Amino acid sequence: MTASPLFDTQEEQGLQSTVDRSSGRSKLIHSLYSRPTSAIGTSIFLIFLLLALLGPIIAPYAENQQIVSDARQPPSSEHVFGTDNLGRDVYSRVVLGARNILLLAGLGTLLAVLSGTVLGLVSGYRGGLLDEGLMRFFDGLLAIPALLFALLLLGILGPSSSSVLMVIVIVYTPIVARVVRSVVLSVKQRGYVEAARLQGERQSVILWREIFPSVLPVLAVESALRFSYAIFLVASLGFLGVSVQPPTPDWGLMVKESRNYVDQLPWTMFFPAAAIAILVVGVNLMADGIKRFLLAPD
Amino acid sequence: MKSRYRSVSVLIVLLTVLALTLTACGGGSTPESTQLSPTQESSAVLPAETSLPETATEQPAPTSEQPTVIPEGALRVAMQSLVQTDPALISSDTEVLVASHVYDYLVDVDPQNNIIPRLAEKWTISDDGLTYIFDLHTEVTFHDGSRLTAEDVVWTFNRLRDPSKDYPTKDLYSKIANIEATGDLQVTFTLTQTNPFFLYDLSDNHALILQADTSDPTQINGTGPFTVDSYSPEDRITLKANPNYFMEGQPRLANIEVIFFADDTAMVDALRGGQVDLAMRIPTPLYQSLQGEAGINPISIPTNAFDLVRLRTDREPGNDPRVIQAFKLATDRESAFQLVEQGLGAIGRDSPVGPLYTAYYSEDTPIPERDIEKAKQLLADAGYPNGLTIDLHTSDTGNRQDLAAVLKEQWAEAGINVNIVVEPESVYFGDNGWLEVDLGITNWGSRPYPQFYLDVMLVCSAVWNESRFCDAEFDEQARLAGTTLNEDERIQAYHEIQRILIERGPIIITSFWPLNTAIHDQFEGFTPKAFAGRTDLREIRLVK
Repeated sequence: MTASPLFDTQEEQGLQSTVDRSSGRSKLIHSLYSRPTSAIGTSIFLIFLLLALLGPIIAPYAENQQIVSDARQPPSSEHVFGTDNLGRDVYSRVVLGARNILLLAGLGTLLAVLSGTVLGLVSGYRGGLLDEGLMRFFDGLLAIPALLFALLLLGILGPSSSSVLMVIVIVYTPIVARVVRSVVLSVKQRGYVEAARLQGERQSVILWREIFPSVLPVLAVESALRFSYAIFLVASLGFLGVSVQPPTPDWGLMVKESRNYVDQLPWTMFFPAAAIAILVVGVNLMADGIKRFLLAPD
Repeated sequence: MKSRYRSVSVLIVLLTVLALTLTACGGGSTPESTQLSPTQESSAVLPAETSLPETATEQPAPTSEQPTVIPEGALRVAMQSLVQTDPALISSDTEVLVASHVYDYLVDVDPQNNIIPRLAEKWTISDDGLTYIFDLHTEVTFHDGSRLTAEDVVWTFNRLRDPSKDYPTKDLYSKIANIEATGDLQVTFTLTQTNPFFLYDLSDNHALILQADTSDPTQINGTGPFTVDSYSPEDRITLKANPNYFMEGQPRLANIEVIFFADDTAMVDALRGGQVDLAMRIPTPLYQSLQGEAGINPISIPTNAFDLVRLRTDREPGNDPRVIQAFKLATDRESAFQLVEQGLGAIGRDSPVGPLYTAYYSEDTPIPERDIEKAKQLLADAGYPNGLTIDLHTSDTGNRQDLAAVLKEQWAEAGINVNIVVEPESVYFGDNGWLEVDLGITNWGSRPYPQFYLDVMLVCSAVWNESRFCDAEFDEQARLAGTTLNEDERIQAYHEIQRILIERGPIIITSFWPLNTAIHDQFEGFTPKAFAGRTDLREIRLVK
């Protein structure tokens, strides 16, 4: 088999895409910071990411360190977010909690996006009974509200971090798969895909090299959105007491634990609740910026 | 551009509010909803001064010479919902509260823990302490109009001790040899062995007198001060005054409405908002927030209820006494008490004989000082040179999660690494899971006398021996305390029991909780009892 002109073209395309990718990345960053809303969102996300990475260095106290003499103190210079009923520094717990929520939501989203992409690509490209069966199954899963479904799964799996991770994957995979499939359905009819198929390319190569790049923009937007939903889901499950176990500094769990103290120690509820709200808003604004950049007509 | 900024700021505010609203809502655990398994059995009032009946004592009838009072006003009480109405099976505060107002006990316990007459007008006890003769009040009628007779009492207690039935009182009344109607209004109990607490046993939560041969006890036909007016499951139960109640001047209220709440915060908000008049078992932080609230009287009383931290002794690691000692030495009870209970209630001394049992409580045996190094050494000697890791199970109600978090931190210093496993109360007690776990925190309700805890939780054969504690010396002292009629001997036995538990009991008790209640100030005559469900609402009256 001799090298075909198409082959050369693909290699060129490959080189071109590497160049495009790095310039695309700087374009994306530029785009995100060109609008105040997405700039705020991206900055918020980056700050929280920094907290998650450097938490143990930034936090002045250990997450569960109980200072009996300082219990139930309002915000002060020593404890900027105050202390809770057990004498734990709320600021340290919020800072150290960032890692937990970002890790669970981030990893969960990543796995859901991976599995959803594979299933969506295969199902959309192959079509037929596999597509029909898989999509009806996903329809069934999607008919159940996400939180309810998550509670049901956690009831079966038992409360732990790995269970929460699994729940995020199971809850969000169908959504991602459906989005990917819808793009695949329109792309697979295009000429260059037909050409690749006629040339006898393997299915995996067609999916990866011809179809996947078209799916990527939509997938990136969907991932950012799923990530913000996942943060809210992790926080909600923590609040309902079915995810991680105390005394983990999980923001949702912290809000739950402080419910009875809302009159006495309002700061113990305010700061973790505000952290959830700010992070979710930040990620949403960032997702909005990514969407505007990737899906813009030009 | 400006309008976009505005819409973004509005979005931020809205999402923050949404997040905070989310946190304020949601189904909640109900702190101190403690009357499950271990608290299911037996009676429940508070043990201030355990005044034991003397032998051959004749109790006078209560003099009721008040002028005729017409019941008026309605009291709305916030409580958890109710499941059981058969007195033999009731367990929760709500169930006991409702049942004890539509039925009557033979003898009752007052808030000071004294035995007082109720259906029994007077009683005598034989010199040998084995025969109790009760004379019933005349003119007592059931709600259907039929007269109360001795046969009803005999039938009720025979039902409660029926060995073929699985009622929680089966063991409690197993030392009764015979119950006999020795007159139309006279009942005689004969015991197989002396029991200084027998009158307390007769005032057990379940010992409400039913009509003889009742086929369906859920169809309520009692003699009590109230009758059931309406019942709406998961919503409320309404009681109305029994016009034929045998005690003059009682009840003072025309109606009691028990409104069901699943959430403590909602319960306290309803009290603040005037939708309910009385709330009991309010978690301490919420109770503290009611201080100084206009029109509301917060009342907190000490109880003998406690969270029991126990280690199973029949398998590793608790089967090594050095491990038990290490746990005890790594615990700072004072800190735990201050952090978890905010200093309300009383500090614990690893024994269920709390300071409210003034006659029996002792501080003679000192609690060993916290000693992390010694704890580490003991663990190393027991084969855990690098410390040990163990799951700590507890339920999601009360302050148990907080206690677990505090202990986890304290024990970590000694190398005891704990994974906290919080379960809903129904799961913790369901299928006897709480009896199986190696390390657990179990909530035990308040009782009018300490013997109950020893008999059901700590003696070798105890039905709820969570820790599988089996100690011959302890068992002997517990037997002595539960049978001797000699008060000095009994006191000595209880002191010995506390010493043994401090020295080698596989249990840690850091505190006794208070019972926090609050009532609107237009009501008078409210005196809570340590077991909230046994609080007597007959004397409450509307004054404004």
